Amino acid sequence: MMDQTASGQGFVRGFLWFTVPATVLILALLSLTDASLKGALVRFVNAMLTSFTLVSFVLLTTLFAYGDTRKRPLAPLFGMVLMVGFGALITYFFLAQGDLLMENNGSIRAQALSNIIRFGTTVLGMAVALVVVGGTLLGSLLNSPPKHILFEEE
Amino acid sequence: MQAFVFFWLAGLFFLLGALVAFFSKDRLQRRIGLVLGGLGFVSLLATPWTISFSPSSAFGHLLGSVIGPTVLLAVGFYQIAFSGNVPVGRLTKQDRLIGVLMVMMGVLWFEAMHWWHLTPTYPDDVNRYWLIFWPTMLLFGFACATGAHSLVGLVGQERHREQRLMILIALFTAALMLMGVFINGPAVSSEMFTVELLLAAADLFGVMVGAAVAIVLFSLVLVVYEKQQLPPKRLDPPTTEQLAAASHTIAQHLAGGEE
Repeated sequence: MMDQTASGQGFVRGFLWFTVPATVLILALLSLTDASLKGALVRFVNAMLTSFTLVSFVLLTTLFAYGDTRKRPLAPLFGMVLMVGFGALITYFFLAQGDLLMENNGSIRAQALSNIIRFGTTVLGMAVALVVVGGTLLGSLLNSPPKHILFEEE
Repeated sequence: MQAFVFFWLAGLFFLLGALVAFFSKDRLQRRIGLVLGGLGFVSLLATPWTISFSPSSAFGHLLGSVIGPTVLLAVGFYQIAFSGNVPVGRLTKQDRLIGVLMVMMGVLWFEAMHWWHLTPTYPDDVNRYWLIFWPTMLLFGFACATGAHSLVGLVGQERHREQRLMILIALFTAALMLMGVFINGPAVSSEMFTVELLLAAADLFGVMVGAAVAIVLFSLVLVVYEKQQLPPKRLDPPTTEQLAAASHTIAQHLAGGEE
């Protein structure tokens, strides 16, 4: 029980360290420059809907691996198909509401495709950043001198 | 039609190929996945030539532009990591030196793409996806470095060197962002970079929130399914004959009987 509480607190602490400094940095940049947040909300919602739909699709495909360990159940597969469909429908619905989520694209289809490519670009940027941070961490950990545990008997 | 085949279908092949190669247990399926993913990736890379009329080809151009420094970084870090204290397959010190040089070249290459004349330009202006990629990478690198700083302190003991390295990366990426905001690059002005940085922050938060909701719902789907399963059939209690046979066998082993 204590371990669970400690790991929960650790997770919250890690999450806060992950998000708060970046948010503070962005807010500081906003206050130091004349930049406005125009268009940021539209980008946020577009990114969120696209991410929900595409990540659901990727998770849907992982269900085939899950099915190997069960008797190939149809219920979770159906649930995830519903989720992907829901994501696609809600994206279409919001894009169809005039200028609500439209950027510089002429049609709903063009906007949806543009969202997907932008999602790919964001994921690419995240992946390269992970290579840098993860590579540095792994490189340092594996180049540290091995630690010996000294028992009392020794 | 051409854009559908060379870009969207290729993208789907790449994604599905990578997933099959990663998750499948069957060797043949993994190979097919790798080939499919590879073909899709090559087709995406070739889009500036195959579908140059389509705006989507700018993404292929970005892939081609960043693949060089990314491979340098990935291979460089691999060389550094596996020339350390690994039990098998340790690389030599020379490999480590080459790794360090590769990482430095990769970082310099990326810097030159913003601060020198190597900025990806497609067809005549700065590639619009580069304007999304670069601030996203810096901001996410900053967030990951600060998050990893906390996690390393939490999981490991006496990991001060790793924590210092994470602070160094966070400071480096923050400095790059601040420089981009206040100093004009040869192709990207400071105003343009500031706007793109804010939009990259919106993109990142959106992607993370959307992914988190999808993962939570995915977990719920599995939990609901698993909870609806009937409990496994319980065996009947042993009969008198079975108990007698078991006690006979146990007694034989304890007393050192016939066997």
